[in-house]
Amino acid sequence: MSPANDQPPAIASDSDSTRADLSQTPDCVSLPLELTAQVFASGMNGALKRWSAVEAREVPLAAKLTLSPGWKPHRMRIATFGFTFPDGLEFIPPKEEADDAEKLERILPPKQSKRADETDSGKKKKSTRLKPPEDALSLEDRLFYVLQPPLESWLAGQELIMPFEPFPFQYEGIAWMFAQKSALLADEMGLGKTMQAITAMRLLLRSGQARRILLICPKPLIPNWQREFKLWAEELPITTVEGDAARRRMLWTMPGVPILLANYELMARDFDGMPEEDHPRFDLVVLDEAQRIKNRDSLTAQVSRGIIRRRSWALTGTPIENRPEELASLFEFLEVIPPRGTPDLRQLSRLADDYILRRTKDLVMSDLPPRLDRDEYLELTPAQKHSYATAEKEGIVQLNDMGDTITISHVFELVLRLKQITNADPLTGESAKLDRLAAEMEEIVQSGKKAILFSQWTRTLDWLRDELEKRLPQCGTLIYHGGVPTKKREPILTRFREDPDSHLLLMSYGTGAVGLNLQFSSYVFLFDRWWNPAVEDQAINRAHRIGQENPVTVTKFISKDTIEERIDLVLQQKRDLFAAILGDGDNTNASLSLTASEIFGLFDLKARAGKGTKSIGPEDPAEEKQAA
Amino acid sequence: MSGEGTKGKLRLGFLTAFEVPQRGFVGGLLVTNHFGRPLEFQCTTPVQPNRTQQILYGPTLVPFIQSELIGKTLVDKVGVKPDLILTDSQQLLDLREHISIPVACLDDQVAGESSAEGGESASQISIGRHTLRFHGAHQSDEQEIEAKSRLIPDGADLLEPFERVREALNEATGTGAKR
Repeated sequence: MSPANDQPPAIASDSDSTRADLSQTPDCVSLPLELTAQVFASGMNGALKRWSAVEAREVPLAAKLTLSPGWKPHRMRIATFGFTFPDGLEFIPPKEEADDAEKLERILPPKQSKRADETDSGKKKKSTRLKPPEDALSLEDRLFYVLQPPLESWLAGQELIMPFEPFPFQYEGIAWMFAQKSALLADEMGLGKTMQAITAMRLLLRSGQARRILLICPKPLIPNWQREFKLWAEELPITTVEGDAARRRMLWTMPGVPILLANYELMARDFDGMPEEDHPRFDLVVLDEAQRIKNRDSLTAQVSRGIIRRRSWALTGTPIENRPEELASLFEFLEVIPPRGTPDLRQLSRLADDYILRRTKDLVMSDLPPRLDRDEYLELTPAQKHSYATAEKEGIVQLNDMGDTITISHVFELVLRLKQITNADPLTGESAKLDRLAAEMEEIVQSGKKAILFSQWTRTLDWLRDELEKRLPQCGTLIYHGGVPTKKREPILTRFREDPDSHLLLMSYGTGAVGLNLQFSSYVFLFDRWWNPAVEDQAINRAHRIGQENPVTVTKFISKDTIEERIDLVLQQKRDLFAAILGDGDNTNASLSLTASEIFGLFDLKARAGKGTKSIGPEDPAEEKQAA
Repeated sequence: MSGEGTKGKLRLGFLTAFEVPQRGFVGGLLVTNHFGRPLEFQCTTPVQPNRTQQILYGPTLVPFIQSELIGKTLVDKVGVKPDLILTDSQQLLDLREHISIPVACLDDQVAGESSAEGGESASQISIGRHTLRFHGAHQSDEQEIEAKSRLIPDGADLLEPFERVREALNEATGTGAKR
């Protein structure tokens, strides 16, 4: 195998290139050829004419030719790894309805004019890939997520019809939820938590990852969820748990129901009374407005945790309403902390990183029209002023007289009475706020816009409707509060949305603040202030949310030199103090109600409360005078 | 032979193979429905040719490993048989010589952008946004696929699933694929 070995070295040394070649051959020996000649001084040099002596040597050929071991190509064995994807649920596509013209919602067909991966500017659109969750350890589990198509192409109106193109941050939210066993979607109100949850559930069902889902929400939001499911996942059959106990029992355990919709009260009652062995099992349980289980000892929280399930999701715009510890109850439901676990702030923050997804409008919705906040400080009418001063004076005297027997409810009662007077004088019905509202509504009616108004009291709302009907009949005032029967609520919202002559919807914070989509309203009035800025924000975000095309003007009525001014300042301070618990740019999580000490502090009653509480209210010289 | 797909359905196999430094050649086959939703995935553990194979196969080594060795093994192994196997490399086209399912290679260029340079016009068709090149010795594949390919949406990006396969192979080799 080494032919160069047998070559005489002298022959090979003539050229440099040959030498270089041979020097690379392992068995080759290269020797320089030296020919020397001596020249004598006589000038006669016989050596020049003499031939160099060259010797030849005989090399015998190998007697027997040997071959290296034979080689035949053989097929290598290759190890493979593979798996099949579970069959997703197939649903019958919804039929086109003939009376489409009368439909309330105009559902646009998916845009197909451009290539799926191009935006209007012609740039390549970002694709949202599903990422395997952190806790997915097996290769098969991880590959399941890696091999799913990008959400944009999955939802591009081919296999799954989407009525509207989601925003990029919504795609991210859907992808995140899809891959999470435990997830708390805590996007700020108005960013489409409902749509993201519905789409993620839809993908779970369609990819065979879930077959039975339970969605629990507050009772007033049931119609809202039904409507949103119809809009975003028309093919999914939704079964609402309702009716008498026997029917509900049948519904809870009925097989072949992909999505069960129930309210918290029914869920707590039915599960509490059900033998444990009869409890239905779910692949996924979703809690909407999950702050409902913030108190981990409540029956609702306990029953929620007891539901047998594989995945747990929670939705809320206000994961912390009062104390960061409230998150612990949510984490317990998500099964990421042990029962009764009490994570400290650092642990909570780490858990939040893993299991909470929160985006704020400031961060993601640069294209949402601006929200213009306007605090309108109104002077009380003379009659209101008189009533207010009398009530406050009498009230404080009364409280002072009570000495140490004074309780929070006594102070609260006074606050409520004063707040009512700032809305309207109880004797004459005079109201500075109503006067201003009527003036502003006149302008809004003329411009053909719509407004929603929130108040704490249903009685105030009823009174407002009567007054506005007298003063401004063209306003087309509608009313929506807890006193309106549930069945009549949906038609009221529909009428407000559809009727061009209906310009104002009066709502209570309790009933109207959560979950409704009223983004066709450009004006929001807060007739009186709620105790908790988060609830106010919820109310405002009925209008200032995705789909809103115009700036939203938010008007808060604050009566000058009254309790309202003081409450506003305290709330503002609290909001500043607790801002950014969940991250930068978050200005809505400081949703902290007034505490007992703060309510005492409104009247500088801290010393008499005798509970070591500290007033954080503003030190207003006027207040000091009044208190004295 | 390749009519596994029932009427109105088209199963696409996305086959790719590449060399992972220090590990060897790996390949993956993702079978999807015509919308790109995954149905089955198969991949190989890394294949490392020895010195003798490297010397004797010479320049034919890579096509041999990728198509005959990896490609054929994966197609044999997969339970959900595709109606058409798409590849992202010309070298894998030779797989067609060893299996009975049509194989087509995706041209890099989007359909309609480079028809003048094609050269082998007889074995090219356009599907979705791409031009497919078939094996020269299996011209009938083209007609067989052309009718079914109408199921693929116009805007479909047929190159995208290869990204998924490559990512899955990276994930599998990174974590150590096991039998």
